[in-house]
Amino acid sequence: MSTAVTNPRHGGEEEGAARSASLRGGGRAAGGTAVVARARQVVKAYGSGETRVVALDSVDVDIARGQFTAIMGPSGSGKSTLMHCLAGLDTVTSGEIFLDDTEITRLKDKKLTQLRRDRIGFIFQAFNLLPTLNAIENITLPMDIAGRKPDAEWLRRVVDTVGLSDRLKHRPNQLSGGQQQRVAVARALAARPEIIFGDEPTGNLDSRAGAEVLGFLRTSVDELGQTIVMVTHDPVAASYADRVLYLADGRIVDEMERPTADAVLDRMRLFPGGNPQTPDFDARGRTS
Amino acid sequence: MSVLKTSLRNFLAHKGRMALSAVAVLLSVAFVSGTLVFTDTMNTTFDKLFAVTASDVTVSPKNADLADETPDTGRPEALPASLVEKVRKAEGVQDAQGSVTSLGVTVVDAKNKNVGPTGGAPTIAVNWGPYELRSVELTTGHEPRGPTDVVLDRGTADKHGLKIGDELRTIAATGDFTAKISGIVDFKVTNPGATVVYFDTATAQRELLGKEGLFTQVMVDAVPGVTDEALKTDIAAALGDGYSLMTAAETADAGREDVAGFLDIMKYAMLGFAGLAFLVGIFLIVNTFSMLVAQRTREIGLMRAIGSSRKQVNRSVLVEAVLLGVVGSVAGVAAGVGLAVGLMELMSSMGMELSTRDLTVKWTTPVVGLALGVVVTVLAAYVPARRAGKVSPMAALRDAGTPADGKAGRVRGAIGLALTAAGAAALVTAARAAEAGPGSLWLGLGVVLTLLGFVVIGPLLAGGIVRALGAVVLRVFGPVGRMAERNALRNPRRTGATGAALMIGLALVASLSVVGSSMVASATDELDRSVGADFIVQSGTGQPIVPQAQAALEKSPGLDHVTEYKWVDATVTDPRGKTTKADLAATEPTYVKDLRREVTAGTLAQAYGPGAMSVGSDYASEHGVKVGDVLTVAFKGGEKAKLKVAAITADTGNVDNGAMYINITTLAEYVPADRVPQSLLLLASAKDGQETLAYQALKDALAPYPQYKVSNQADYKEELKNQVGQLLNIVYGLLALAIVVAILGVVNTLALSVVERTREIGLMRAIGLSRRQLRRMIRLESVVIALFGALLGLGLGMGWGTAAQKLLALEGLGVLEIPWPTILTVFVGSAFVGLFAALVPAFRAGRMNVLNAIASE
Repeated sequence: MSTAVTNPRHGGEEEGAARSASLRGGGRAAGGTAVVARARQVVKAYGSGETRVVALDSVDVDIARGQFTAIMGPSGSGKSTLMHCLAGLDTVTSGEIFLDDTEITRLKDKKLTQLRRDRIGFIFQAFNLLPTLNAIENITLPMDIAGRKPDAEWLRRVVDTVGLSDRLKHRPNQLSGGQQQRVAVARALAARPEIIFGDEPTGNLDSRAGAEVLGFLRTSVDELGQTIVMVTHDPVAASYADRVLYLADGRIVDEMERPTADAVLDRMRLFPGGNPQTPDFDARGRTS
Repeated sequence: MSVLKTSLRNFLAHKGRMALSAVAVLLSVAFVSGTLVFTDTMNTTFDKLFAVTASDVTVSPKNADLADETPDTGRPEALPASLVEKVRKAEGVQDAQGSVTSLGVTVVDAKNKNVGPTGGAPTIAVNWGPYELRSVELTTGHEPRGPTDVVLDRGTADKHGLKIGDELRTIAATGDFTAKISGIVDFKVTNPGATVVYFDTATAQRELLGKEGLFTQVMVDAVPGVTDEALKTDIAAALGDGYSLMTAAETADAGREDVAGFLDIMKYAMLGFAGLAFLVGIFLIVNTFSMLVAQRTREIGLMRAIGSSRKQVNRSVLVEAVLLGVVGSVAGVAAGVGLAVGLMELMSSMGMELSTRDLTVKWTTPVVGLALGVVVTVLAAYVPARRAGKVSPMAALRDAGTPADGKAGRVRGAIGLALTAAGAAALVTAARAAEAGPGSLWLGLGVVLTLLGFVVIGPLLAGGIVRALGAVVLRVFGPVGRMAERNALRNPRRTGATGAALMIGLALVASLSVVGSSMVASATDELDRSVGADFIVQSGTGQPIVPQAQAALEKSPGLDHVTEYKWVDATVTDPRGKTTKADLAATEPTYVKDLRREVTAGTLAQAYGPGAMSVGSDYASEHGVKVGDVLTVAFKGGEKAKLKVAAITADTGNVDNGAMYINITTLAEYVPADRVPQSLLLLASAKDGQETLAYQALKDALAPYPQYKVSNQADYKEELKNQVGQLLNIVYGLLALAIVVAILGVVNTLALSVVERTREIGLMRAIGLSRRQLRRMIRLESVVIALFGALLGLGLGMGWGTAAQKLLALEGLGVLEIPWPTILTVFVGSAFVGLFAALVPAFRAGRMNVLNAIASE
């Protein structure tokens, strides 16, 4: 139903300067297609017969290159499932998903693993890092697994961007929650994936640390030309995105360009029974 | 919910993990109960056998000892036939029959193949009489009717495919004789592997005892109402002194005692290995319960928060241990019976026939097995249970995740170092010991202390050793190897305990292989230094050499000389009147060339002169004997001789240590010809340049006598090596039990680690770790743990082995040889053990669903 929207978001709070830089990101995208990931008629159902539950109901979605997309929706709307399917972590019941020209719904586990390793970055809500590896080892892990040498120049830039230069030798348990998520962001960025998926990346953080991480995500889109898809139920987090997709009952019901926290919150209130889902929603909304 | 219910549910919830620990308990209990069932069954077999074969009272010659029915002369002590009549006239006698029994025979078929057992059970030649028919039944053919008839037992006939009419040659000290099989008998009870041939009485007397009119025993039955004891007294009164009388019970006891020695060695050896399996199993159980408790920290915290006392938590873990112990032990006892049957099969293949008919499971067997299994399991679970009790209610609120064990390090290190140092000191003391007795005590102490020290210090060593191994082994595998290394180091206590389980088995393997190869090296060295003879002839079972075989050898071409070597029982009295029992070595002057001995005084060649002898330096110094002193020697079955000491040999080395030499001609002066023992072995040397020819000629000459073997020096060394190798292989086989339990431990540790790291594995899979890489990571972790255990074990074992060799140097084990090929093979093999142990855990980790794994708690 939706189409790609490539024009970057202008204006907004404190990142005006960064925004203009994102034109470069758009320029990079111009080399390839404007759409980096596509879902066509994707159905994800669990069980069969009477117990059949449809999590995704013929979803069509295009993710624009160099854009920050947020997926929102009430609990059980299928937003996480959609992200997992797009990221090649979960299989679909029917339909097709493409990453560039690769139809990932057809790939076997081995190819899919390679695809995740080489072309996709991940930021989870929690437990993003291996406790036995230090920060820099965690950051370079996907490339190490692939047997690739990280681009030193790029790595330094990523590390500088997330502000971790003096913490690289620390183990995860020596880092704060916010720092850990920043390491996760750095890991996702370091391999220069075509697309980064975030599953409630700030869900476990207090509002200050959350804002910090979201700021870095925004910067990476604007300055590094990164494509990011983030699942969230936090209107403030969504307001960092260029575009918000709303899911309800496994379908995309709406989308919003250049969202603000208040606009997102207002839109959320329209969902049946879909109000602030989590207890910390209000607190976070207010403090931002 | 009651404690029992909680425990039961927990136990069932962790079936898989408990299963491996249960297998460890099972194996150990199976070994214990199997040993008990096996030895009880053996006892039953022999009791039944003795019960049917013994008569109420048996009369034997005075100096025939039942325990060793083949005297050195090869000819049984005999009684005149007239004695039977004398016995019949005694009061209370129902019937008396003379019997001829000889164990000093070898029976071969037409192709000169020995049909008797070559180890364990004997070959028995007897006369066909009513007493024999108590234990056997003639089922094929007819009884022996003349000098050319022989009856054979069914077991031997079947094993060698012999049938009626086949020729058998019986080799006795009195000569060879040939007869055709006229009948085959079946035993009514289990025949534990003996080959029995029956001849008619006259043939048996003539061929086995040298002439007719002789018996070896008189078997007497009492009239009803007369006890065996009373009958024995009556016969003693009728016969007077000079005979040995035994009741049926006494005969059975003597027989049992004969078997008991062999049985006891087996029993204690096997129980020793069972103990070892238990020891290794303890590590597995401790590890399992530690991990289960760690994983359940939150749950336990919750129980504590809602009001469970420490004691209750503690008890619930112990109850789980009891359940584990019971399940493992019950299965173990059952498996033990199976093991016993297996052992019986094994013994059968080695010539000791045992029948499952006699399978004996006493009530004590399950009781001992169950008690042992449960007690050991509960003891092993005690420390983890206590740790569970210490979990604070706050744990329920904290994040899940395994608590790190950081502290304890320094205390542990200090204790471990102290134990290891004390153990090492004890080992050094043992190595330097001047006497074997206290030295072996030090050795034992050193082994126990260093083992304990290594177990305690293991988790601390894990860090350094795993890193070092990682640098060598894992670097090749890049980031996967690095992660495997980090994972192995993550919980050093767990890695330490898992490795320690493997360490114990491998330490024993290493130490025994060091001792074994030192044994071979020392013996080879000694042979090279001292043995001058080209060939040695002896039997594999220690049977003496019959004169006809000796004659055949002496006629063989290409020989320079053949030296006889006999042992003679004697009592030796020194000039001051102190008497000692001794085996004198009666041999020929050429023996000086065959075996080079150092002398501390005198000339050894002169000891072979008339009226002369030599003594060993230990005897000489103990008794203050000098060259020229005269000793009084009373020969068994002969007269007293006064012999002058012509030489004192140095008691160093292994061969003939402490021997007193005399010439055979000297012996002949004091002992009648039919009392002179047969040769124990023969040594021979070829004429120069004819070694190959002579060797072949000797082999040909021995072809009709398959019980003897001739070896040249090279073959002899090889045989020695093989013998030691075989012995070691048996021990390794038994040690494999401990290693199997240790492998189960590695499997368990990995399986539980994989469960603990579910989320991590999910994360790694999500960011692109392939299944193959994941599996490799787990396998590498396993390999590193196994190599860690192997390194500690082999190091420890080589230390033990070296200390043991230095100690045994006192007993002639002078050469230390570390069998590097074996050590390296074991080390590399343990890497494969690691791979093997990781198979299932790695497979399961690979199969995990990525999304579920990430979402799991």
